[in-house]
Parts: sequence; structure tokens; C-alpha cells
Amino acid sequence: MTTYPVRTRRWTRKEYRQLGELGVLPENEAVELIAGQLVVAEPKGTPHTTAVRLTAEALRRAFGAGWLVSTQDPIALDDDSEPEPDVAVVPGGPRDYLVDHPAWPVLVVEVADSSLLFDRHHKGSLYARAGFPDYWIVNLVDARLEVYRRPGGDPAAEFGWRYLDADVVATGGGVAPLARRDVAIAVADLLP
Amino acid sequence: MTTYPVRTRRWTRKEYRLLGERGVLPEDEPVELIDGQLIVAEPKGRPHVTAVALTAEGLRRAFGAGWHVFQQEPIALDDDSEPEPDVSVVPGGPRDYLVDHPARPVLVVEVAETSLDFDRHHKGSAYARAGLPDYWIVNLLDRRLEVYRRPGTDPAAEFGWRYLGVEIFAPGTAVAPLARRNALIAVADLLP
Repeated sequence: MTTYPVRTRRWTRKEYRQLGELGVLPENEAVELIAGQLVVAEPKGTPHTTAVRLTAEALRRAFGAGWLVSTQDPIALDDDSEPEPDVAVVPGGPRDYLVDHPAWPVLVVEVADSSLLFDRHHKGSLYARAGFPDYWIVNLVDARLEVYRRPGGDPAAEFGWRYLDADVVATGGGVAPLARRDVAIAVADLLP
Repeated sequence: MTTYPVRTRRWTRKEYRLLGERGVLPEDEPVELIDGQLIVAEPKGRPHVTAVALTAEGLRRAFGAGWHVFQQEPIALDDDSEPEPDVSVVPGGPRDYLVDHPARPVLVVEVAETSLDFDRHHKGSAYARAGLPDYWIVNLLDRRLEVYRRPGTDPAAEFGWRYLGVEIFAPGTAVAPLARRNALIAVADLLP
């Protein structure tokens, strides 16, 4: 319907933090800062939350000691982005991120039903631009896992970057994180 | 390029005020709250600034005592909108709006160059929905005045409302505001 450009106010990560600290934006509000835009998260159904828990559990088992698996915690992606991936794996333990949020997860996972296109093309492009090496989408619509790797430039992508490799792993298959090539995770274990 | 919906965080007028009071949003930043969205204003060139000054002058002459002509001042349009029309005419004097911004100007005017489509369809629909009776666009691209009246519903309009009456006035003609039908303003006086 809108055929003219509407330029909305963009926010930096610093301003975003201020919004929370000053109480303008309630701490528990479901928004993420994506490339300067405060994007509202879709309401999550129980299949979504179940898949998030299953994925976190499986990744904790797979990664073991020395790695922190967080769910829906902020990532200090860049000056204008602070997404909260459904699951993220970072080196170290909780106290290592007391001062600032982790910036370099070795694996980020989004669980997608209604947000599938947004997770593929919007967040995918953002994560690729940030150079995240390993991005998974637990696709609840098609009951499968999508594995995105090798970030590369693409002028047609939302933020100029996308993952050059996309692998689809069906329910019967397994996958090993790039950072833990020795462990196989069954896709069936991630699906509700 | 974006083919999926991106829902950004909407703001209320109350929150918008907090953003200013708590210093998150600099007071002089050129943004307007329109239907919950913080819209960034395009930079204004000299022809725009000149037309605003000419229009304010023309309207001050036409309306005279008992009316106040504001330039780029906020209007308390609704709970989610606080636009700053280039020129607006309200009853009374400056002290009448010490506590809150005026809500129901008898005339609002936008000067448009690059923002023409936005002013016509986006702001026009917001102003029509609020029931503002008289909306003028000083169209610098085509050097003419567009006069919008009679707000009515239209499901295809941005906010479900538009002006049913549209009249175009060329530089050789004159127009009277709805609130001052006996005062004729020459369109040539409003153009740079």
C-alpha cells in the first residue's frame, strides 16, 4: 500500500541500552535491535519454546564444558544491532560476559515458524555481515534444519551479505557444529 | 527488496515525550511521531524554508487577531501521533498551549518537495483520520497549492481515511481558509 519511502528513526546500541536503563523501554519487552531498527518479535507458541529448549539442551550436551549456551540473550553484534538469537553458543562461562554481551558466537540458532522469511533473509544477512560462521534455522514449518555457512558479499541481500552455503538436513539426519566437528547432533532431537 | 513483514516498535505520544525529557532523543532532532512511528524528516532546502516563512506570513495577515500561526510546532493529533506541520493555525494565543500542544488546528499546511507523496498519502491520511478540516500542501514541484477537505473513510488509504475533496490552485488564483472564508490568500504569495 505504501509506495513512498518512510524513513524511521534508527537507534544505536548505546541509545538502545539507554532506553532500557531510563525505563522508557520496559526490560522484558520483546524487541530486538536489528540494523538500527527496533524490531518487535512475534508472539511465541509452545512449539517454538519447546524447540528452543530442545536445541539448547542438545547443544549443551554437544559442546560440553568451556562453552556457554544461552537462550534469547543479547548479542553485541555491531554498533546498531543487538539481536537476541533463540540459542547462541559462545566460548567461556557466564562471568565472562558481565561487562558487555558476547559479540562472537560460534553458533547462532533461530527457531522459525511465522518468522521463517525474516530469519532467513533479514537476520541471515545481518549475521552473515557480522561474519558469524555457523547459522542454523530450526524450521518448524517444514520440520527440518537449515544450516547456513560461508558468509559472502551479495548486493541483492538485505544488508549486502548472505551465506553462500545453505544445507538442508531432514529429520533423519545429523549435523556437527563448525566449532565442534567431532560431535553429531540428531535433527530429530531439535524438533518438538 | 524486503518481501517479508518487519514490524518495528511503535511509540505512544507519552513515550515520545519521555524520550525527549530523558535526553534519549535530542530536542532539536528532526523527527515526528506519526501513527506510532518516529519518522525522520528530510533535510529542508532554502525554497522549503522560504515557502514556510511566506505561508506563515500570508496566514497571519489573513487570520489576524484571535488566532495563532505556528511554524513547525508539535500537534497533539492522537495518542500515537505528534506531527509538526510546517504551518498550523489554532485559535487563541501562545499561552493557551502552555500545558499541552494544540490538538485541533483549523488549518495545517505542509510545504512539499521530495516529501510530496508522503505528505499527500501518509500525513494526509493521518490528518484526515484526526478530522482536521482543512489541509493544504504548498507543492513546490508543480508550483501550486493543493487544498484537501472533507475527511472520509477509504479502506485503501494508509490509515483508513483520506480527504474526499481535493482542489488545485494555480499561482494566479486565490484561496480562503475554511475558518476564514472572507479572507482571500493569493497562491503566488505562498510560493518562493
